[in-house]
Amino acid sequence: MDGSQLLKGVLDLAVLAVLAERDGYGYDVVRRLREAGLEDVGDASVYGTLRRLYKAGALTSYVVASEEGPHRKYYGLNDVGRSLLQTSAKTWTSFAATMNDLLKEVDPG
Amino acid sequence: MNPPMTPQDYAAAVREALADLPARDRETLLEDLDEHLAEVAAEPGMSLEERLGSPEAYAAELRAAYGGRPQGGGDSSLGGRLRERVTGAVRRVHTRLLVLPPYRQAAVFAPELRPAWWVLRGYAIALGVLAPISAPGLVPGDIPAWVFTLAVVWGSVWLGRRGRTRESRWGRVLLLGANLLAAYLMIVVMANVPSTSSRSVAFDYGPQPEMYAPGMRVERVSSLGGDVYNIFPYAEDGTPLHNVRLYDQDGNPIMVEQGFDQELVIPCDGEPPIRNAYPLPLRPVEHRADPTEPEATCVPATPSPTLTPTPTPTPSGEPSGSPSPSATPTR
Repeated sequence: MDGSQLLKGVLDLAVLAVLAERDGYGYDVVRRLREAGLEDVGDASVYGTLRRLYKAGALTSYVVASEEGPHRKYYGLNDVGRSLLQTSAKTWTSFAATMNDLLKEVDPG
Repeated sequence: MNPPMTPQDYAAAVREALADLPARDRETLLEDLDEHLAEVAAEPGMSLEERLGSPEAYAAELRAAYGGRPQGGGDSSLGGRLRERVTGAVRRVHTRLLVLPPYRQAAVFAPELRPAWWVLRGYAIALGVLAPISAPGLVPGDIPAWVFTLAVVWGSVWLGRRGRTRESRWGRVLLLGANLLAAYLMIVVMANVPSTSSRSVAFDYGPQPEMYAPGMRVERVSSLGGDVYNIFPYAEDGTPLHNVRLYDQDGNPIMVEQGFDQELVIPCDGEPPIRNAYPLPLRPVEHRADPTEPEATCVPATPSPTLTPTPTPTPSGEPSGSPSPSATPTR
């Protein structure tokens, strides 16, 4: 199975988790996700997810002026985002446990 | 294509690829795209296209990530919530009905009928507009009416082909209103046509008694004029025929209306007479002296013997045993 298919379902959770660590701007979030091991995460997917979560009221945003380069829009979790992260994390943990249980007889080779 | 795209070029191409999204949504989604792309472009080594793929692919990925829910959590007005609830309920019913094969086929087929609906709706609206100023009918009366009708049909098809995504909210409301109006006009026309035609058919058969309302025609009987109230068939050699059943070309029994001074003889102990078996057993209506007396609904088949009470034998034990109590014993 393609990893990007799996990623689609959990990208929200991954983005929320990255932002829970510390606030970040769009490209920063992309980079941190890739450094964490999600190498094939798409730039547009992350950007679109950030905008959607922001519109849904889960994120705060603020602009930081930078000396070199353009102004950067930073995103961070608000209370809605934190509780969303919590419930999503719980769902993921139980889902992952179920999958591990199902696959424990399978030898990945 | 050869010189690398600037972030501005790339962002413009992405915007163009997402042109069909509602304007407000698109702005929310793409608000800081330029800054974001500038950030990506600042990374040394590769051009934007090498790094991100074509603007169209980027736009498609954005669209997918932003989700098929352009409303997001945004529309919290009462109308918006109500609409969400109604469309949600409709969608659930639709999904459930899809299990039925006939519904599934209809659902697949229905979109192909949309152009037909566009034409029909334009036609109906044009006739509805023309109705007060021209002769009523199912086709336009004269050449200006035809021109007007064709123009409205053309406009209706044009609206239909343009699609619904670019409509403003008021445009959609207006379109919904026009659709409802057209559907209403069509139902009115369809409801009127059969009743007028059946009225004229009834007239062709001859004047009908008042009681023979159009609603009773569901019996599907033919009827001759009011002047004929019985039929006496004869064979070629002059012998009268009995119990001849008459039917029309569609197999409907032909019945005649009895005149007001004739009534059908209905035997009390047998089957009621068949209404299309001729000649009908008719008799003149008796005008009873006492109108309070209940009307006899049937006629006894034979003169009733039971009406005379059986004479009781006299208890005197006479050997003659005369049954008649009126017989005076002479001795």
